[in-house]
Amino acid sequence: MNVIRLWLNFVRVGVLGEIQYRVNFLVQLLQSAIALATALIVLALIFSYTQTLGGWTGPELLALMGVHTLVGGLIHMSIQPNMERLMQDVQNGTLDYALIKPADSQALVSVREFRLWQGVDVIVGALVIGYAVYQLREIFGWQQALAFAAALGCGAAMIYAFWLILTTGAFWFVRMENLLELWQGLYSAGRAPVGIYPDWLKYGLTFLVPVAFAVTVPAEAVTGRLTLETLAGAIALAAALLVGARWFWFFGLRRYSGASA
Amino acid sequence: MTVIRVDKLSKSYFVPEREAGLSAALKSLVRRKTREVKAVDAISFEIGAGEIVGFLGPNGAGKTTTLKMLSGLLYPTGGAAHVLGFVPEKRERGFLTQVTLVMGNRNQLQWDIPALDSYDLQRAIYGLDPAGYRRTRDELIELMQVGDLVRKPVRNLSLGERMKVEFIGALLHNPKVIFLDEPTLGLDVTMQRRLREFVAGYNARTGATVLLTSHYMADVEALCKRVIVIHNGTLLYDGDLTGLGARFAAYKTISASFDQAPPALDGYGEVMSTDGLRVTLRVPKAETSRVTARLLTDLAVVDLTVEDPPIDDVIEKVFNSQAVG
Amino acid sequence: MRNLLDFYLGQMRIAAVTQLQYRAANYFYMIGMVAEPVVYLVVWSTIAAAQGGSVGGYTAGGFAAYYIVWTLVRNMNIVFTPYGWEWRIREGQLSGMLLRPIHPLHGDIAYFAGWKVAVIILWLPIAAVLALAFRPEINPTWQEVVVFFIAIWGAYLIRTMLLWLLGMITFWTTRVGALFELYFAAELLLSGRLVPMSVMPPWVQELSAWMPFRWAFQYPIEALVGDLPTDQLWLGLGMQALWIVLAGGAALFAWRWAVKQYSAVGG
Repeated sequence: MNVIRLWLNFVRVGVLGEIQYRVNFLVQLLQSAIALATALIVLALIFSYTQTLGGWTGPELLALMGVHTLVGGLIHMSIQPNMERLMQDVQNGTLDYALIKPADSQALVSVREFRLWQGVDVIVGALVIGYAVYQLREIFGWQQALAFAAALGCGAAMIYAFWLILTTGAFWFVRMENLLELWQGLYSAGRAPVGIYPDWLKYGLTFLVPVAFAVTVPAEAVTGRLTLETLAGAIALAAALLVGARWFWFFGLRRYSGASA
Repeated sequence: MTVIRVDKLSKSYFVPEREAGLSAALKSLVRRKTREVKAVDAISFEIGAGEIVGFLGPNGAGKTTTLKMLSGLLYPTGGAAHVLGFVPEKRERGFLTQVTLVMGNRNQLQWDIPALDSYDLQRAIYGLDPAGYRRTRDELIELMQVGDLVRKPVRNLSLGERMKVEFIGALLHNPKVIFLDEPTLGLDVTMQRRLREFVAGYNARTGATVLLTSHYMADVEALCKRVIVIHNGTLLYDGDLTGLGARFAAYKTISASFDQAPPALDGYGEVMSTDGLRVTLRVPKAETSRVTARLLTDLAVVDLTVEDPPIDDVIEKVFNSQAVG
Repeated sequence: MRNLLDFYLGQMRIAAVTQLQYRAANYFYMIGMVAEPVVYLVVWSTIAAAQGGSVGGYTAGGFAAYYIVWTLVRNMNIVFTPYGWEWRIREGQLSGMLLRPIHPLHGDIAYFAGWKVAVIILWLPIAAVLALAFRPEINPTWQEVVVFFIAIWGAYLIRTMLLWLLGMITFWTTRVGALFELYFAAELLLSGRLVPMSVMPPWVQELSAWMPFRWAFQYPIEALVGDLPTDQLWLGLGMQALWIVLAGGAALFAWRWAVKQYSAVGG
């Protein structure tokens, strides 16, 4: 519970800081609108040639796009800013200020930043999913809603764990920001259902980088094609990654303390 | 010969005003208040060839703004400046090739390559002839005593070393006018002294005119016979460094030693420090002789000296009194 | 003139040396960039297969060739970002640029051109891997190869000028994100970066003919991959030259205003 209180406090500070720049909200809104329009144009172009793409219909791909936008918003709002700050702290040696605070170090470095206006993408994504669900109402029931929530939670947890592991790498290799460039590119691959990729890429996007679990699996839940086995697998993998990330964080921290002593 | 002529030079900005707190932040969204700030307000001075002039003032006094106007980075909003006969803000090639600006903590050299490679690029940018360039470069390297540092990537140099190679890069084109904005910022005392000696030596050798701002009074005392003091954008003083004390110091310091612990001396003046049997007092200038006489008659004084306060105390007093008045 | 050449060679050498030092960083960046065309390639190959072999004149092998050459042209399109001006102003870099007796546009063109030399070397293995994975169909004539090598530099110059022009807006307002994104979206759709223009509806093709974007993207790819008639092949270089002059002129003009603005409000 302490972690949540801590998080809420940082959120409050972040919101207070950003509310002063309401113009940024407008800018972000416009940017999200442009991104949405572009994505819709691409979908329209694809479905002007075909009825289904890799077995997904128009509304189903729309749901996928919504999930991609929503998860992207979550990443930009909370995960990425925190991890970037952590990376800078390691580079500049200012991480000590965080470590000296009497709180769980992993929790602290994961909640310090909050970008309110990036949340626009979360809302835009949710609206798109809502519209897709409306079109798919025949197949969407409360089971799907539950499965979607669970899959989304697992996906977010996996991405957080993945980023924390990558960022902890900064204790060894100081220049990690390029790995993040790599991530941006790979995440954009989530705009298509991973099933249409050649096998090597499909498995890479599933197990090397959890894009499939973060985007395709929740979208599968919305479109009623998620099996219980996949969901169980997602939950197990998310739990394993979270535990692994926590272990790796403390492992890296020991090295960091050793090096600066 | 006058190299820099500044005539009623002014620069004002409009800055947004906002109070702290959420409600004020929200209010400012609706209506943004702006306020005109006169960063530099009609200052005039002249600087002759070969002079080293210190430019003093607290943060925000307008020093950097003036320097930027003189180097052509800012348009004045009023008045005029001439440097080497050029109007700086026109940024003509003839002007740019004869001046240089060095800012402490700012980097113009490429980060990832040895300074020597950046110097070569400077040669191309300024169109210097190769033989003359090599001579100047080697002389500067010699004078600055940097040796092989110029062969290391700049990012691997310490702050002080970086500033040294930065200086060399800024002087390769033999500028006639050198603007230095806080050049010793953040450097340790030895390195500050080294740079000071370098500037003094360079000035003596080439006759270049130097205009320098610095927070470190030691820089100014070591280099500048003449200082220009500005505060809140206006010119307070222009003249000899020594005259500054005489003009602005409204008090003197009296140091007295006693052979046994003296009683409280608050009645004689402001006690600045007590060091064992030695006490330093600050007294108004006009009362110096009266207080001295009283001390000598009232107490068993072993030794007594009367001094002008140190120059940075004077400066501080000037700024504080101005800020109040 | 000799001085300028001297400067260009020096600046390009420095850029190439610096960027080769950052091989790993450049590779991560380039591999991350590869994901985008791979998505397009997979999607459109799937559609082409479903449509009985081809879309807009491109077969799966044709798309593979298009999107693999795409990766090089995209790298040639990386120039000084318009978002970078805010940093240049804030960090005082701009002051340094203004104090030098040489136009900053020269500095940027030369620096990124030098970087491109490093990029082309680093790109070759990536292209080889992609070719193995996706089996492109490509059989250019020597004439097409020659035009391609000129055209990628033409593309580089067009985009340099356009983004310089765009970046100048930063001198008046720093809330430029939405404007830049709008520009990038238009560019994505109208340049051939998303799909070859022949896949787009006719009115979009018409629209793109009046814009500079395709000359900085699709044209070099088509020169190598497509079957442009000889006259169109060479005419394209003329169109590139025209856009370089137009955009370059506008950029220089805007720069003058921008410097005035900067000198008025300061940095």
